[in-house]
Amino acid sequence: MDASLAAEQQRILASDWGGGKSPFGTSWSKFMMWIFIISDALTFAGFLIAYGFMRGISPAWPKQTEIFNMVLITFMTFALISSSAVMAMAVGAARAGDPKLAFRFLVLTIIGGFIFLGCQAYEWTHFIEEGARPWTNPWMPAVPQFTAAFFVITGFHGFHVFSGVTILAIVAIRAGMGKYSGDQVENAGLYWHFVDVVWVFVFAFFYLL
Amino acid sequence: MTWFWLLVLTGLALGLGYAPIPERIKALLLVCTTLAKVLVIAAVFMHLRYERVNLILITFTPLILAIIFFSFTFPETLGSASHVIQVR
Repeated sequence: MDASLAAEQQRILASDWGGGKSPFGTSWSKFMMWIFIISDALTFAGFLIAYGFMRGISPAWPKQTEIFNMVLITFMTFALISSSAVMAMAVGAARAGDPKLAFRFLVLTIIGGFIFLGCQAYEWTHFIEEGARPWTNPWMPAVPQFTAAFFVITGFHGFHVFSGVTILAIVAIRAGMGKYSGDQVENAGLYWHFVDVVWVFVFAFFYLL
Repeated sequence: MTWFWLLVLTGLALGLGYAPIPERIKALLLVCTTLAKVLVIAAVFMHLRYERVNLILITFTPLILAIIFFSFTFPETLGSASHVIQVR
């Protein structure tokens, strides 16, 4: 290899990976949020894969469109997608240096999160009243693990929505006080969009397939 | 506009859920619809289309690997028995 070319490659590598500059072109906090999202995505992937195995080895599986209230589930999906869109507008407002507008959009996002959680609480209550528990279900033994998969997957996702609402509330309060940075709103937004992405998978593979 | 397309894809997925088509075709179409939604959210809402290739690769590589490993192990659950053994 030409010596000058090798030296140029070394210089580029050193400039990107030698410290003092992010090779990913992002802030440290944003990169750490992405790392967290990837690890969390793999946790959800583990749950959904385990669900796939359980379903594959079960002799039968309930027809979800008959067991679940699909109007409610579709409305929950609508609420989460809409809140995600509003969150993107909050990030845009924060980046544009408009804390008041960012605050308003953050509040709307939080309302979307609460609507989702309220619907989920209603769904869980209805399901529990029918006799479903994490360790048994009223359709046993035909569909072992059905309710375990339901409670674990939707419960873990619901916990993420609750955590997201809490994070957004903190960011909104800080935005309302003028103590915020565009990065903070964007990182909270990344987490919220991730929660939406997970629900897209849960909606398709647990409720529709 | 992105919000509108996400709702359209959600409606499409919902229609597939009720469609009287074979389960495997339904599963394939639902996977395609879901991946389309995820790509739209990641690219537009999460701004991944503006990020450097390094970050895009580090984001998707583990998930693609997870799908590959899953595809190696899952088909056994769909097989039928040809040998009978005693089980407890």
